[in-house]
Amino acid sequence: MSVGLDYQFLVKTFFIALSGVPTALIITIVSLLIALPLGFLLALSRINQIPVISQLARVYVSFVRGTPVIVQIFIIFTSVPLLLKPVFEEYHVQTNIYDINPIWYAFIVFSLNTTAILIEVFRSAISTVSKGQLEAAYSVGLNNVQAFRRIIIPQTLVVALPNICTATVNLIKATSLGYALSLREITLRAQVAANVGYNYIEAYIDIFIVYLLLCSLVEYLFKLYEKRLRKYKAVGA
Amino acid sequence: MLEIKNIHKSFGKNEILKGVDLKIEKGDVVVILGPSGSGKTTLLRCINFLERADEGQAIFGNMDVNLKSASRKQIHQIRQKTAFVFQNYNLFNNKTALENVTEGLIIGRKVPKAEANKIGKLALEKVGLSDKINSYPSQLSGGQQQRVGIARAIALNPDIILFDEPTSALDPELVGEVLTVMKSIAKEGTTMLVVTHEMSFAKDVANKVIFMDGGVIVEEDAPEEIFSRPKEERTQQFLKRVIPEDYIYNI
Amino acid sequence: MQKYFDVSYLWGTIPQLIPFLKVTFMVAGLSVLFGTILGFILALMKLGTSKIAKKTANSYTTIIRCTPSIVLLFLVYYGLPAIVGNFGTDLNTLHTAVFVVITFSLQFGALMSEVMRTAYEAIDRGQFEAAVSVGLSPAQAFRRIVLPQAFVVALPNFGNSFLELMKEGSLAYTIGLVDIMGKASLIISNNYNSHSLEIYLGLSLIYWILSILIEQFFSRLEKIFSKGKQVIKTT
Repeated sequence: MSVGLDYQFLVKTFFIALSGVPTALIITIVSLLIALPLGFLLALSRINQIPVISQLARVYVSFVRGTPVIVQIFIIFTSVPLLLKPVFEEYHVQTNIYDINPIWYAFIVFSLNTTAILIEVFRSAISTVSKGQLEAAYSVGLNNVQAFRRIIIPQTLVVALPNICTATVNLIKATSLGYALSLREITLRAQVAANVGYNYIEAYIDIFIVYLLLCSLVEYLFKLYEKRLRKYKAVGA
Repeated sequence: MLEIKNIHKSFGKNEILKGVDLKIEKGDVVVILGPSGSGKTTLLRCINFLERADEGQAIFGNMDVNLKSASRKQIHQIRQKTAFVFQNYNLFNNKTALENVTEGLIIGRKVPKAEANKIGKLALEKVGLSDKINSYPSQLSGGQQQRVGIARAIALNPDIILFDEPTSALDPELVGEVLTVMKSIAKEGTTMLVVTHEMSFAKDVANKVIFMDGGVIVEEDAPEEIFSRPKEERTQQFLKRVIPEDYIYNI
Repeated sequence: MQKYFDVSYLWGTIPQLIPFLKVTFMVAGLSVLFGTILGFILALMKLGTSKIAKKTANSYTTIIRCTPSIVLLFLVYYGLPAIVGNFGTDLNTLHTAVFVVITFSLQFGALMSEVMRTAYEAIDRGQFEAAVSVGLSPAQAFRRIVLPQAFVVALPNFGNSFLELMKEGSLAYTIGLVDIMGKASLIISNNYNSHSLEIYLGLSLIYWILSILIEQFFSRLEKIFSKGKQVIKTT
């Protein structure tokens, strides 16, 4: 098997792997859209020590960060149908539980996972923005929403951006575990193609290249955005 | 004892030292004054090789060293003869005050620990910190940290101590305690080369004042001469701008 | 199936899984060991003067950081025997754990190189300058003054990376390693996939407790090694 690579297969499978990129991206974007605001709000609740919510958030974060993603995926994948079954029967929903598109499970798992990670990222980023900023904002007449939107959040963002970039890249990589949900993303598509002729190595090389391109692109975009934001930060810090 | 000849140093396109000659005798207390950017700190840092000069010669006692091509061994030997007091103290954060002072002795000069501790305690006593020998830098005020820095230099018993703006990073109230220590060791005959803005020190303790500007030595003379009868235009201008400050800090 | 969710399964599987923690730890421990050595070499390359070395080390780090763990696992598992097979050696008899350790050592090495590099760069250059000014050789200055301080800075990041390693290591079951994850999968398939939720919950409980213990351990370590430093409170 190891004399040489099947280059024809290599090229063909590259595009098959590439076809999984939209799926990976959709999951990433949806998860981020949910996790960014939710993570920020919960981080605030932790810092301001709002009762009940902050303790729940703490346990939640500890669990999500202490268990492997694959285990979280399996838990959601097996528990959601169990939980939904009585609900579906109650409301006489026609859809079969087991026919739900796996992408919905992916949305749930990765949103929950990323939220927990971002709570920690925002917690440390917010604490670097001094309290005086908020007080000054109030004293010139800004209300809460304005103060946060115009003063606090921009400063938090600059500090948090590198970590958000890391979280995004990790999220993209984690979508590779979608195969456990039979989710037809990058890895699974290429693997299926490989099963035909046992060209596993070529398939994994293609998968590897696709992820590499994707992650490099994302890192590059984040760096650009960070440069733009930094223009407004103190010069010569 | 120490003679520097024709020292040049550039950082990228900026030539900071444009040919400086310096001569220091044993027991001299030399103060270097000048505006920022004049090269005073760079000069000091080149002497103990924290920066590598582009050109120049140093004659240290019986050692003659080319500043550009000095070998590791020569650098090490020169560092044995000098001690440096930094603007931001640079105390070893992971060591106590006493350990800071004895580190150079025990490791650099292979002095046995018991003897090094004795010397160290004496040095700390001289700077008035006998009660802080086991404190860590993070537990000390700026003035105390700098005094430990001076003790660290004294303990090595060097031929010359180089001071790089020792009080510039200190709050005004703490400047006095450091200057007092510096004055007392000057009185004991320590050879000192001091870059500072503290005119009181220059007036009271120095026996030679050098005025640098634009990478060259503009004027050098005894303090009474420089302060009352400056010969160069640039020196006069600098002193005019700086002296009013003197009234604020002078005790 | 009478019950959809049977808690007794949860408590029942935990004792079955615990013995396999040994495998998890052994694989993690070896990966940490080799990974740290690799990370140290890479850090030296990144901080050194050779441009080629710097570029190589940085490229390696970026590539590894952009590769999902299972992809890396598969590449090593299928790719290494293939490459080595061209030279005649047959690696197919090697235990799966060897491939797992190789994969995660490569991964941990990339992580560690960044941890070490940032820790080193966090130490003010003045510490080194003061050390050589009192007569220490550069090597002594590094060993006695800079390294101890860099170590303290690196410790929390090392702890985080270790935790990440333990979690990513769970993916080793995909190439057949029987650690706690692998055993859990076996149990589930033996039960015809019934009651898998309880088993996964039991598994997650073990991992959770493990991660809390590891966090506490590193917190304790940080306190011990930070004597002489004022620590900033962020909680």
